[in-house]
Amino acid sequence: MFRLQGSRVLAVDMTGDAVKAKNGSMVAYDGQMSFKRLTGGGEGLRGMVTRRLTGEQMTVMEVRGQGTCWFADRASEINLVRLSGEKLYVESSNLLVTEAGLRTGTTFTGLRGASQGNGLFTTTVEGHGQVAVMSDGPAVVLRVSPQYPLVVDPGAYIAHQGNVRQSFQSGVTFRTFLGEGGGEAFQIRFEGDGLVYVQPSERNTIAGDL
Amino acid sequence: MSAYGTPGAGPVVHDPTTLPADDNVNPYTFCVDLKGSQWFLQKGKMIAYYGAIEFNGIGHGRLDRLVRTVFHSPLHASDWVVAEGSGRMLLADRAFDVNSFDLDDGNLTIRSGNLLAFQPTLALKQSIVPGFLTLLGTGKFVAASNGPVVFMEPPIRVDPQALVGWADCPSPCHHYDHGYLTGVWGGLRAMTGLGPVSGEEHQFEFVGAGTVLLQSSEALMAEQAAGVLPDEPGVPGAGRVSGTGGQQTGAPSLPGQLGGLQRRFGL
Repeated sequence: MFRLQGSRVLAVDMTGDAVKAKNGSMVAYDGQMSFKRLTGGGEGLRGMVTRRLTGEQMTVMEVRGQGTCWFADRASEINLVRLSGEKLYVESSNLLVTEAGLRTGTTFTGLRGASQGNGLFTTTVEGHGQVAVMSDGPAVVLRVSPQYPLVVDPGAYIAHQGNVRQSFQSGVTFRTFLGEGGGEAFQIRFEGDGLVYVQPSERNTIAGDL
Repeated sequence: MSAYGTPGAGPVVHDPTTLPADDNVNPYTFCVDLKGSQWFLQKGKMIAYYGAIEFNGIGHGRLDRLVRTVFHSPLHASDWVVAEGSGRMLLADRAFDVNSFDLDDGNLTIRSGNLLAFQPTLALKQSIVPGFLTLLGTGKFVAASNGPVVFMEPPIRVDPQALVGWADCPSPCHHYDHGYLTGVWGGLRAMTGLGPVSGEEHQFEFVGAGTVLLQSSEALMAEQAAGVLPDEPGVPGAGRVSGTGGQQTGAPSLPGQLGGLQRRFGL
């Protein structure tokens, strides 16, 4: 059971079950806990090799026990996402804790990933349960529906879920090369049906200032 | 409408019908409602938008008239863009607090790094205080601050790092703590740089009627270049880029360089 204590600390109540958490993100615990480092994101040998190859490495630990465990990482804001069968796409660096029943994996993102400065691959979380996602400042959740497509700055994107199509749109014109660009040279357009999480801050991206 | 409803105790999900119009979504995110209108914003502060919105550098030829009438930080401020179209646009700045302020036929001077966006009904001018910009007229603007903004009435002395801006009152002057600067200890400190220091020996002093805006921290935001001041006698800070540091990099643009020229031609 996940609950937020303030907006930057996550408390997880456990009764013998387990969660997967970012390595070293435990700040306190109460009761009996065991912490086990999972190699390769806990996805077995194949996952380990995939993560090594794709650069979506995450060091994950399994926390198992009875009681309450608190997690936090560099005072980042924490956002809870509940999944009921759908797939959440999130950057591995933004993933804090997932319930043990959720499957994690890697997927190819193509140009979107490259424009975010996060590499070409992203992490997926799938199944039933809760996920804690970190963001720089509280995330805003935006709905994408067929009548309302959404355009997001790659540096502010943190995660999305649902059945959405992404396309990459570029505002690069000859003006960009004259130093008169619109400041939003690369954008990701989401169409379909789902939710997109954005943070009120921009990572440094390639061409972020064009 | 959508299969992805708000889960029980989950986060609030926004769509264009629930996003506020020209108001804060949360303390760190501001939503602008564009209805075929225009907004000026600092480059790269848009995080997401619904609808059809175009972003153009202020050198864009079609915007020449607009820039000429309201953007007086003249031909230099390439860090500003104009958003144009219809839809809802979210603005944020490095997870700092953002707030909107309404000016009603007023004037407000603000640190260049703190101003995020403004309506073209306001006119933007360089302040003669280096590193500050002045907004004149009626309209709405959005400013970022490190921690929430507090409003103070003059007469007041404020810490230079906490000052965000001021409205309707005369420009501030420097104030020094003379008990600290004079006497034997003062002389020693001036000569050696040693001695007890409280860090509060220098303030900005405001007098007259108006409002002073302070941020609740002393962490300065990176300044944005506000343009080179004309190099004439009598201009304070003349000949150097107002708003030092910040994003102004590379060689200073010489008159006649392509950068200046192509802006002149409205490319």
